[in-house]
Amino acid sequence: MRSAARSAAVSVILSGLLSGAGFALDAAEAYDWPLPDWMPRPSVPEDNPMSAAKVELGRHLFYDARLSGDGTVACASCHDQGRAFTDGRQVAVGIHGTHGKLNAPSLANVAYLPVNSWANPHMTSLEFQALVPLFGEAPDEMGATGQEARIFATLAEDPYYAQAFAQAFPQQPRPELFTVTRALGAFQRSLMSFDSAYDRFKYGGELDALSDAAKRGEQLFFDHRFECYHCHQGVLFTDNFKREGSPWVETGFHNTGLYADYPVSAPGRIEFTAEPGDAGLFRTPSLRNVAVTAPYMHDGSIPDLRGVLAHYAKGGREGHSNQDGMIVGFTATEAEIADLIAFLESLTDKRLLTNPDHADPWPKDHPARLKRAQP
Amino acid sequence: MKLALQAALAALLPATAAFADQDVKINFAAEIGGHPFACDATFTDIGSTGAAVRGTDFRLYVSDVAMIAADGTRNPVTLTESAFQHDGVALLDFEDGSAACANGTAPLNTQLAGTAAEGSYTGVAFNVGVPFEMNHGDPTTAPTPLNLTSMFWNWRGGYKFVRIDMVPTDKAASGPKGWFLHLGSTMCKSGGKTDAPAAPCKNPNLMAVSFDGFDPAKQTLVIDPAPVVAEADMRSNTPQTSPGCMSFLNDPDCDTVMTKLGLPFKDIAAGEQQLIAVR
Repeated sequence: MRSAARSAAVSVILSGLLSGAGFALDAAEAYDWPLPDWMPRPSVPEDNPMSAAKVELGRHLFYDARLSGDGTVACASCHDQGRAFTDGRQVAVGIHGTHGKLNAPSLANVAYLPVNSWANPHMTSLEFQALVPLFGEAPDEMGATGQEARIFATLAEDPYYAQAFAQAFPQQPRPELFTVTRALGAFQRSLMSFDSAYDRFKYGGELDALSDAAKRGEQLFFDHRFECYHCHQGVLFTDNFKREGSPWVETGFHNTGLYADYPVSAPGRIEFTAEPGDAGLFRTPSLRNVAVTAPYMHDGSIPDLRGVLAHYAKGGREGHSNQDGMIVGFTATEAEIADLIAFLESLTDKRLLTNPDHADPWPKDHPARLKRAQP
Repeated sequence: MKLALQAALAALLPATAAFADQDVKINFAAEIGGHPFACDATFTDIGSTGAAVRGTDFRLYVSDVAMIAADGTRNPVTLTESAFQHDGVALLDFEDGSAACANGTAPLNTQLAGTAAEGSYTGVAFNVGVPFEMNHGDPTTAPTPLNLTSMFWNWRGGYKFVRIDMVPTDKAASGPKGWFLHLGSTMCKSGGKTDAPAAPCKNPNLMAVSFDGFDPAKQTLVIDPAPVVAEADMRSNTPQTSPGCMSFLNDPDCDTVMTKLGLPFKDIAAGEQQLIAVR
């Protein structure tokens, strides 16, 4: 009800704006997220309003390996839907088998994250972030540096894109940096995940949606003996959050004491701020779908959830002078650890992992997909 | 929408309403150890061992604001709706998200703004905290300023009424990483940690603060945790308890602290609150 009324209002506003500006109306085909009533909508950048056409174009680009230097790496090469858009590897692997420095983060609910990076506090939009895998050279991810003119010309020749760019961007109907990054941003903003067993239990009133073990685990997760929820808090289970209609942009970066000296390959936020207090600080990841996103931590250095809990039980693996004060260590029985893991597993949203709206749109023998590396 | 409606209603009402309202603005300042709070500052001689600390957070909720007349009667202040004020609850926010407060938010709020019935007032009263009816809802759908994850515990516990986080500059590698003052309700009975309690918490821990001699036009209410933690060691923490004092009954680190917030704690009687003073 609320959602229908809202999209009607949005379309009225949009059609008023767009007819005045001379846009084709179909370009702004109203987009609304299939969100439950309890979940507020995300904020969207002013220069990239959502539309169904743009999301669909972004999906094609996301799975298109022709965006890379040699036609082998797509966004999907490190962000696999079946793993909640992570890749199962310790660190991401880019063009020519180049190993990155960081674990590929999940893209579920990224629309709500004010910072789209493990450590760079300035990476505040998905549109800007897209430039890093495309053109970054340390490490090489998609290896497109200096080749954008050729890549965009190749895309323009594809009959799908000839029509899809015109529909999504009537005023600027070509593959180019602006349109490609906007479409990729819009697709990523469509990746919503709020249909886990825990959601059905907590918000949907289905009291039998959680096992008894997961229910016990929930109580432990929110207990101050474990202190899990001080950083993994709120609806995304992270202290990073922004939403439509709220003045707050909340970001949370913490040092979890993984290393006494963080390696220069991934030193944390200090890499961007040069502040000694930022050594070893990384963005708190959301715990939604955490059970399918192993391995863990910013560098994938812990293979499973049991290992992560052992790290926090110890109060930090090696310890660090910047270690967050909430990581105090705890003792837990084997049964309690099993209950906590059952709770974490209840945060998996199977619909996200199989939703055809987010799946690879390209036929098997299409050039977009033919040479594409899979995680 | 709501504002437009109020304006329209106001235009319809006769100007001869029985009581006119007057604007009320109450200014606050944050300090640690008598020095203005800033996210890039270091404050010396804090706590029982005279620690040097940096402040990493400094926020609190205020509600039930009233002006006190010379004869002692209290007139409620209607807080103006804004990002920082909703339905009688205000967030005072002295961290700007910079330097040591990087996990905070950029906007600041150092003032309560509202209206009260016209009168001659000589004092002010308010609670530090969120009223029970608003304290245990779903923060995902709560209106601002009740939608901040860093001010939230869980539905059973409600909000952190006060969040003042201090980190010693010379903390021991093996010792606690900081001393955090988190005030909130405890012993709230409910089915689970993410269920709202049906009845008020046994220890609401709302701080009732009042000042009989306060002139909003000339004076400021100064919030300083230093007197509150004067007998607490910023460099130590009782093992297996939350770092600093987070209001929990199992935490001996709260023994000397809660009484100085004007609150009883276990069998320790409430003293005078020492967190806020008039200047």
